[in-house]
Amino acid sequence: MNKAGMHTRPASLLVKIASRFKADFYIIKDGFQINGKSIIGVMSLAAEYGSTVTLTFDGPDESKAAAEITKFFEEGFGEL
Amino acid sequence: MKEVLQSLQNVQEIIKESISVEYFYQACKNRFKLSKLTDGDIGLDKIIKDRNIHRPGLALAGYTKLFTFERVQILGNTEVRYLKHLSKKERSKVLRKFFSFDIPCVCLTFDNKPTEEFMELAVKNNTAVFISPLPTTKFAYFISDFLDDQFSPQIALHGSFVDVYGVGLLFYGRSGIGKSEIALDLIERGHRLVSDDVVMISRKGEGILMGSGTDLVKHFMEIRGLGIIDVRSIFGIRAIRFQKRVELIVNLEEWSAKKEYTRTGLDESLISVLGVEIPFIRLPIFPGKNITVISEVIALNYLCKHYGYDAAKTLSGKLDDALRKKYKQKTGNVEFERSVEYLEHDFE
Repeated sequence: MNKAGMHTRPASLLVKIASRFKADFYIIKDGFQINGKSIIGVMSLAAEYGSTVTLTFDGPDESKAAAEITKFFEEGFGEL
Repeated sequence: MKEVLQSLQNVQEIIKESISVEYFYQACKNRFKLSKLTDGDIGLDKIIKDRNIHRPGLALAGYTKLFTFERVQILGNTEVRYLKHLSKKERSKVLRKFFSFDIPCVCLTFDNKPTEEFMELAVKNNTAVFISPLPTTKFAYFISDFLDDQFSPQIALHGSFVDVYGVGLLFYGRSGIGKSEIALDLIERGHRLVSDDVVMISRKGEGILMGSGTDLVKHFMEIRGLGIIDVRSIFGIRAIRFQKRVELIVNLEEWSAKKEYTRTGLDESLISVLGVEIPFIRLPIFPGKNITVISEVIALNYLCKHYGYDAAKTLSGKLDDALRKKYKQKTGNVEFERSVEYLEHDFE
């Protein structure tokens, strides 16, 4: 993950990407599961650098959504 | 008719399995006037795994077979006076036995000071000792409630939670359906926001759900096309509250001709959240429908029912009366007089 963690800018980008898909997208961190299409939700995770999150996708375009969002994570939210 | 729907899908329960004595002390220090008698961080690294408390009267008297030592031990007047009345030798034996168990921590109530030997043994066994001026029953009640809250399962729900006329309405529905907008509209009309987007729900005691926001985002909310706003700074203290009992779940969904919605309100749907059954209302939405006013009416109707007046049942009862009266006028018969109609040649 990006050095600065999941701060506001990547959080808003993530939400934007997720909202393009029909599939439900959830992020799980420390047992807390939040809706990945909600900016307040993503921000409330306060996911810091080096933390581990689990992503779940469910819906008609889940594989497409999963591929794109995983890519976004792997690229360090486009900030690396 | 009551219908229990499946529990909410895609929801993960979070259960705390233990808390450290350090955490317990920090959280209870000011709340329950708890002071630490042991020095430094003695025993603070121990963990509490049980939500119950224990008064070790019998264990001190020597019966340790069923001693629930893994619980927080509370010593009140009875235990302390009992220890005092023992001879020095006996007391020493009893205390040694007591501290030989792996006790998480000991709390003394009524400001009962422990003996030197008690403290020595506590330190030796790395057990923290706390003291509180509160009476034992009160203290035990507070601590139980605190531990119960700590160990109760929690879930984070994606929804908006608003106190409408004192009724906790939780709006639920897919992302982008307009939960936040409805919450905002309700706030504007004088109702109070508990949390938007992320609602933390925990079970309290039997059959009560409490909802609150998260520490970080509290009363911030996102309005599509506008961005993030802080409800507290815009609307002030009257527009927020920190926690509220969840009393109704309102599920917002796009109106669909294929789905059936209740028309009378006689049949109540319930949904199971953390094992608690909560009334569940399916609210179809479409442009031009004022969901805010409907939400207020949902809350008021719930209050009416709570105070014993059910509009749907009342009207249904009135209809039954009217039908009965008409039947009587038409036929001259008094209906429902006999439990059996005329049975031919039945002389039995």
